[in-house]
Amino acid sequence: MTLGLILAIIGAVLAAVLPGIGSAYGVQIGGQAAAGVVSEKPDLFGKLLVLQALPGTQGIYGFLTAVLVMVRTGLLSGSAVQLTTQQGWAFFAACMPMAIVGLLSAISQGKAAVASIHMTAKQPDSSAKGITMTALVETYAILALLVSVLLILIGIPV
Amino acid sequence: MIVPMKKAVLVVFREDRETVARALQRCGELMPIPPENYRPEGGPPGAEERIRGAMQAVRPYRPKKSFLAGKPQVKAGELLDSGGEEELLSRVEEASARADAAAAEKETLRAKMEELRPWLRMDIPVEALGGTKQAGIYSGYIDPGAAAAFRREAEENGGAVTELDAGPQGLAVLVYTYRKEEGPLLEKLAALGFSRAAPPGSGLPADTMAAWEKEFAAASAAWEESQKQLEELAREENRLELLSDRADAARQRAEAPFGSTERTVYLEGWVRSDRTDRVKKAMEKAGVCYYLDFSDPAEGEEPPTVTKNNRFISQFETITDMFSRPKKGELDPNPVMGPWYWMIFGLMMGDAGYGLMMLLGIGLFKKLKKPRGDFGKLVNVLFFSSITTVFWGILFGSYFGETWHPLLFAPLDNPMGMLIFCMIIGVLHIFSGMAVKMAADIRAGHFWDAVFDQFSWMLIITGLGLMFLEPARTAGAVMAAAGAVIVLFTAGRAKKGVVGKIVGGFGGLYGITSYMSDILSYSRILALSLATGIVGMVMNLLAGMMQGSVIGFVFSLLVYAGGHVFNLAMGLLSAYVHDSRLQYIEFFNKFYEGGGYAFRPLQIDPRFVEVTGGGENQGGN
Repeated sequence: MTLGLILAIIGAVLAAVLPGIGSAYGVQIGGQAAAGVVSEKPDLFGKLLVLQALPGTQGIYGFLTAVLVMVRTGLLSGSAVQLTTQQGWAFFAACMPMAIVGLLSAISQGKAAVASIHMTAKQPDSSAKGITMTALVETYAILALLVSVLLILIGIPV
Repeated sequence: MIVPMKKAVLVVFREDRETVARALQRCGELMPIPPENYRPEGGPPGAEERIRGAMQAVRPYRPKKSFLAGKPQVKAGELLDSGGEEELLSRVEEASARADAAAAEKETLRAKMEELRPWLRMDIPVEALGGTKQAGIYSGYIDPGAAAAFRREAEENGGAVTELDAGPQGLAVLVYTYRKEEGPLLEKLAALGFSRAAPPGSGLPADTMAAWEKEFAAASAAWEESQKQLEELAREENRLELLSDRADAARQRAEAPFGSTERTVYLEGWVRSDRTDRVKKAMEKAGVCYYLDFSDPAEGEEPPTVTKNNRFISQFETITDMFSRPKKGELDPNPVMGPWYWMIFGLMMGDAGYGLMMLLGIGLFKKLKKPRGDFGKLVNVLFFSSITTVFWGILFGSYFGETWHPLLFAPLDNPMGMLIFCMIIGVLHIFSGMAVKMAADIRAGHFWDAVFDQFSWMLIITGLGLMFLEPARTAGAVMAAAGAVIVLFTAGRAKKGVVGKIVGGFGGLYGITSYMSDILSYSRILALSLATGIVGMVMNLLAGMMQGSVIGFVFSLLVYAGGHVFNLAMGLLSAYVHDSRLQYIEFFNKFYEGGGYAFRPLQIDPRFVEVTGGGENQGGN
C-alpha cells in the first residue's frame, strides 16, 4: 500500500466522520427541541420530524463522498490502485470541502432547525416557512459536495 | 385561476339564528366576516369539556386500532344533531369516578395495613395499652440495630421489653414498667430513640388486619368491576368521538359572528361567485324568512383567496399555500409552478426503481388511509411525482442505484453533463417565471417594463449561455451585449436626475450576480440525484458482499429491503424540501408575492369522523 493510497483513505475517513459528527449534533439539538414541543402538542410530531431530520443530510453527503473515493481508488473492488503521493494528496484535498463544510453547516443548520421548531410550536401553519429557512443553510453543504464530487470523479487523473 | 368572491349579506329573525347557522354550516360555502368590535359568545358551557374528559377516561382501555384503519363514516345530518349524549357521558363519568374512588381506597388501606404489619404479634388489644394501676404498658418504635442496648437499659431499670416485628418506621416494641419507677425509665428509653406510637385501629391487631384485608378485597373487586365497565365503554369510543365532533360543530355555530338588532340578526360573509346559488338554495331549504344579497367586494376590501385548477394542478396548490396564497389582483402561480414541481421532483429522485416503490407504497397508503385536506394534497403531489421519478429514472438508466442502459446519460458517469443539464432546467424554470411577470405587466399596460426588466435579462442569460457553444459564440455575445445595454440604459429610469439614472443603470447590471446564484442553485438537483443513486448503489454493494452462504443470502435480502426503504425516505424528504425551496426562492421571486389568506367557510370540520353525504361541500375547497 502506497502513501498516496493512505492519504486518500484518510481523506475519505474525514469526509465520512466530520459531517457525521455535525449531523449527529444538529439532529440531536433538533430532537431535544422537538421532544419538548411534542410533550405539549403531540399533533405536531410529523411536522417537527421533518425539521429535525434536515441537518441529517450532511452525514449522508459525507458518506457519499467517502464512497466515491473508495470507488475511484478501487478500494471496494479489492484491487486498490497504487496511488502516487501527489494523487493521494489530491484525493485528500478533494475530500476537505465536504468534510469541513459538512461539519460546520450541519451544526448551523441544527440551530436554524431548533429556531424553526420553536416557531412551528407557536404557529403550526408556518412549518413550511421554517423548513425553507432551515433548508437555505444546506445550500452550502450541497455546493461543497459538488466540488468534492466533481474533483473526485473527473478532476483527479488516476 | 383565482375564483372571484362575492360579499353576502344575510338578515334573519333572531329566533331563526340556530336554524340558519345549521343550514349554512351544512352548506359550507360562506366564510363569515366578524363585525367590528365583535366578541365571540362561547358555546354551550361545559359540554365539550365533559366529552373530552370522558374520552380521556376511556382512552387507556380502547381496543388497539390499526394504523391504517380509516375514520368512521357518518352523514352530515348526524353531525348537526344534538342531544343523546347525557346517558353515555354519565355512564363513563360514573365508571371513572368509581374506578378512582376504588383505587384511592385501595391505596389508603394498603398504607394502613403496612403501618399495622409490625404489630401483628401483639397479643393484647390496643385499648389495654397504657397499663393498669400498678403496671405501665407503652408501645412505640426503636431503631432495630439498637434493640439489644435498649433491652439491657430497660431491664437494668426494672422494666421489660417485648420485641415485635420491624416495619418501615422501625422495630415495634412493647415496654412494661412498674408504675412507681416508670418516670426515669421512660426518659432513659426516649434518649435511646424510643418514639411512642400506638398501632392503628382498635382491638387485637390481628383482628383489625383481617377486617382490613376483607375491605381491601372488596375495594379490589370494585376496581376490577369498574375497569371492566370502562373497557366496555371504551368500545363506544366512536360514539364519544362523534359527540366531540358534534360539540365542536355546535361551538362553531354558536361562535358564528352574527351581528344583531332588536328583532333580527345579520351576517356578512364571503362566498365564491360561482357558488352563490348554493347559499341561496340552503337558505330556501332552511324554511325561514330571510333577506340575502350578494355584491362585489368594495374598493379596499380583501376577500379570501380560493384557487380553482384542474384535478392535477390543484394538488400542487398545497405547495404554494404553504408559502403564501395569492393576493387579490395577483395571478395564480399554480398552473406554471405545478408542472415544474412535478418534473424537478422526478429529476431529484431520478430512479425508476424508487419511482415504482413510491407509486405502489403511496398508492396503497392513499387507498387505505384516504388522506384529505392539505395533507391529502401533499400525498397526491408525491404520488404524481412517482411518475416523473420513473420517467427520469429510465432516461438516466438508474434502477435501485444500478445503472442499466441509460437513454440519455448516467449522472454518475457524466456529472459535468448532468450539471449543465440542471443549469439549463434552472434557466428554463426561471424564464417561465419571468414570462409570467411579463404577461402580467403587458396585461396591466406596462409593455415597456416587460421589455426592460424581463426580456433584457432573458437576452443576457441566453447570450451568455450560447457563448459556451463554439458555433453560436458571436451570436451569443451580441445577444448578451444587447441585453446588457438595455439594462444599463433603463434600470435607472425611475430614478431622478442624470446621476441617479447612471447609478441605477450600473446597479441594475449588478443584478447579474443574483441571476447567477439563482441558476447555480439548481446544481442541487445533481447533488440530490447523485446522493440517491450512490447510497442505493452502496446498499446493493453491502448486500452483495453478504451473499456468500445461504444465511448470508437471507441477510442480504434484509439489507436490500431496509437500505432501499431508508434511502427512499431520505430521498423523498430531500426532494420535497429542495424542490419547494427552488419554487419559493428561485422561481417565485421572479414574479410572485402572495399575501392572501385562506377561505375558511363555516362548515362541518370533524376531527374524528369522515362526512360521507348530506353536506354539499364538505372538505371540497
